[in-house]
Amino acid sequence: MPVRVVDTATPSSQPSSGQDTNAVQPTPPSCSLLTAGRCFAGTQNVSSLQKDEAWKVNVRIHGCDLEQGYLCGTMEALNVPLADTPVVTFWEGEIVDAKNYTFFTGKWEASPEDDVRHWSKFPSFTPLLSQVEIDGGKSVDLSNYPYIFMRWKEQYFVNVGVDCGLTIAGFYYVCFSCSDGSISGFYYDPNSSPFQKLELKCTNEKQSGFTFSSYELQ
Amino acid sequence: MPAATASGGGARAEEAAASSSSAPSCVGMRPEELAARLAAAGGPGAAAGDGGGAGGEEGEQERVLALREIKNQIIGNRTKKLLYLRLGAVPAVVAALAEPGASPAALVQAAAAAGSFACGVDDGARAVLDAGAAGHLTRLLAHPDEKVVDACARALRMIYQSKQAPKFDVNNEKNMDFLLSLLDSKNENVTELAANIISHSCDSNTEQLALCGAGVPQKLVGLFGGSMNLRDACLDSMTAIIRDNCDVASRFASMDHGKYFRSIVGLIHDRSPRTRLLSCLCLIALGHASPCHFPDRQIKTKLILVLLELIEEPGNVGDEAPLALTTLIKDSVELQKQAFSTNAVVKLSNHLLANSLETRRAVTILFALAELCSKQEESRSQLMSGQVSTLILDALKHDCADIRVAACSCLKNISRSSKVLSAGRISCDTVIAPLVQLLYDSSTSVQIAALGAICNIAVNLTPRKSVLLHSGVVSQLVNLSKSMDPTLRLKSVWALRNIMFLLNPKDKDFILKELTVSTLSSLICDSEHFVQEQTLALVQNLLDGHVDSVNYVIAEDGMVLNAISRQLNSASAPGVCVQGMLVLANMAAGDELNKEAVMDVIVPHQADRIKSSFVVNFLQSKDKQLRVATLWCILNLIYPKCDTSSTRVTRLQNVGVISQVKGMMNDPCLDCKNTRQRLAKEKLGKGALHRDVCREP
Repeated sequence: MPVRVVDTATPSSQPSSGQDTNAVQPTPPSCSLLTAGRCFAGTQNVSSLQKDEAWKVNVRIHGCDLEQGYLCGTMEALNVPLADTPVVTFWEGEIVDAKNYTFFTGKWEASPEDDVRHWSKFPSFTPLLSQVEIDGGKSVDLSNYPYIFMRWKEQYFVNVGVDCGLTIAGFYYVCFSCSDGSISGFYYDPNSSPFQKLELKCTNEKQSGFTFSSYELQ
Repeated sequence: MPAATASGGGARAEEAAASSSSAPSCVGMRPEELAARLAAAGGPGAAAGDGGGAGGEEGEQERVLALREIKNQIIGNRTKKLLYLRLGAVPAVVAALAEPGASPAALVQAAAAAGSFACGVDDGARAVLDAGAAGHLTRLLAHPDEKVVDACARALRMIYQSKQAPKFDVNNEKNMDFLLSLLDSKNENVTELAANIISHSCDSNTEQLALCGAGVPQKLVGLFGGSMNLRDACLDSMTAIIRDNCDVASRFASMDHGKYFRSIVGLIHDRSPRTRLLSCLCLIALGHASPCHFPDRQIKTKLILVLLELIEEPGNVGDEAPLALTTLIKDSVELQKQAFSTNAVVKLSNHLLANSLETRRAVTILFALAELCSKQEESRSQLMSGQVSTLILDALKHDCADIRVAACSCLKNISRSSKVLSAGRISCDTVIAPLVQLLYDSSTSVQIAALGAICNIAVNLTPRKSVLLHSGVVSQLVNLSKSMDPTLRLKSVWALRNIMFLLNPKDKDFILKELTVSTLSSLICDSEHFVQEQTLALVQNLLDGHVDSVNYVIAEDGMVLNAISRQLNSASAPGVCVQGMLVLANMAAGDELNKEAVMDVIVPHQADRIKSSFVVNFLQSKDKQLRVATLWCILNLIYPKCDTSSTRVTRLQNVGVISQVKGMMNDPCLDCKNTRQRLAKEKLGKGALHRDVCREP
């Protein structure tokens, strides 16, 4: 039986023995800052040993289905060297909700050790670490946790060809803060610089308030 | 969408009910003469020779000959049936059934003729029923001559296959006893009749329970060993008894440790295609009525495979199999995945490509393909990449309205995906132009289906929204939003709302000029709350990111804002209130004038002081979306910190809004808690919220 977190920022663990952990499926967290149409802007640090470098990045959420643990959107890198125009990619995301996806990636050349090493970069992950090391977080109730963990995997280039000299082979470990709508992420690709950091802030917040828009499919 | 049906007897050709050797004296006689001769031969006084009729044995023989000739002429001949109907032959035929002294031969011929008149022609069925044939035929089921019983049972089956036939009230005890006696008959024509009566009459919960309580399911399964027609009729009746009735379905599934259930499962591999289809339909009805009694994944996979095979069968079975598949996988991600893994998209597409679009099967296959794409990304991708996608576009222009509806349904479900919409492949001129054309279709069903597809495609997540906007769609959507049909109004406003999503300001202005402030206000106050909700969502999208759009909301003496205020004050449906509050939140994210305009809506005027703000009720709502939307609106009103925002805090405090926000510290919804915390973080030094927040533990 999952325990609802009320006042603390610590996720509850479901009992691991003597009870059916599949009996209750916690609903994934919902947040009005993580919905279709939301835009985020910030940077991705692509520094290497040779030089410090950061690309400006814009992200837009196109779709979000919390029930299926799915979201998608586009990512636009603005000042990419050797690229004439901003490079836009389409990505699909997996929301870690212990129902559809756990903290263990199980694909994209990411081992559980790689997973733990990357998730541990987020301070908000610390309270979850011990349980995740045991079962990937299968028994953690994240339904009331103030952070949403995700993996974003770029699927294709929207406005340039595959011969643009850039790669989308890797994926992002992402942590979204429900309280302020900020996003942190780390890019993982065994063949690229490790721990490229993504930092984004929600841009729907105007000078005098926060605005909303929505669509609905039939 | 049409439902899958495969009536046990409905697909059988009209059968010759009795031996039909023609009598030389009537062969070649004109229908007018035959009808006149029959009328003269039958009826009161005919036996005594009155009115020119023949009497005694000779008269009876003449009547048999006339009846036989009429029957032979009308079987399978619709034109002749209508001709004899006009000549008034039906009452004379039925009169023969009513006559106490009628010979078995006359009864057999009259019953066969009556059944034939009722078969496949509504006017014929009505005439036969009006003449009282059902009562006479039912009485004659007890006739000592087996041939008479056979003929009457067959005639009654044809009558009960007609929609014109009255329902047989199984809640009546005597009727139920009669039905049970029919089921116990040794005569297969009679037991098949009983099954047909059940299929025709059983559609309410109480009727299903009454039949189940009387042991009818066991009797029907007990008859599976009979002829193929009898078995099919029994399967059809079983489906009628189980459909949408959880209680009956679960009782049946567990009867005799699942023995009866297994009998039906066994029939999905029967030699007869019709039996396979009917057993699949019965199991599908069982699975829908009582999912917990039908958890076996293997059986469901078998059903999918059997139904995909049946599509290759000629006739009615092949036409209905795709609809049965549609019913099976409807709303189930798991079954749609299973169907995809059994190559359903490819098999259905290939069948469609290999055959003409002119058939009913094309319609049912398109509906099945649409259902396969309703939740499965892989199915959508496979369908779009295949040759069949061109065929679907052709189908949009087909003469048959059903084909056009089915093709729209495919496109709607393919585009029910943010991934597909982001790729932009569906928002091209070749798809949009024929769909927009269908908005002018003479059939409302086609218009509604086209609107469904346009609603989704309108959410163009690529920078190329111009294809849709320049297609002329906006003016027609605006026209349809004024329709008398609520579904047309709903879907057209819904499409406009989706087009408006993240649209650039110039295009937003273009839409608003077509729509007008006055139409927008009327739609906010529409009689249907679904229309109100979509209209408010449209206004929300209009205001997002386009500060100048507020001018439309406050234009013409605030017509739109007043309409929103009326809806929020009259405690409309929760969805309407949520969208209304998001409109106000967007407006409150504007300049001081906009914020004050919102304040005037949510804080009652001096004269209404005794009335608290509806906002307080919204903050207490059980609907978390309404609480969140309201909190965002309040947050925008008091943001950023300045003297005027402090004044607004005081006004909100005076109507109890701030104390209500304060009480939401432990709201069970994380989103509410987070938004409230943002409110608390607005350091409004002079505001009451700040003091309240400082006192919080």
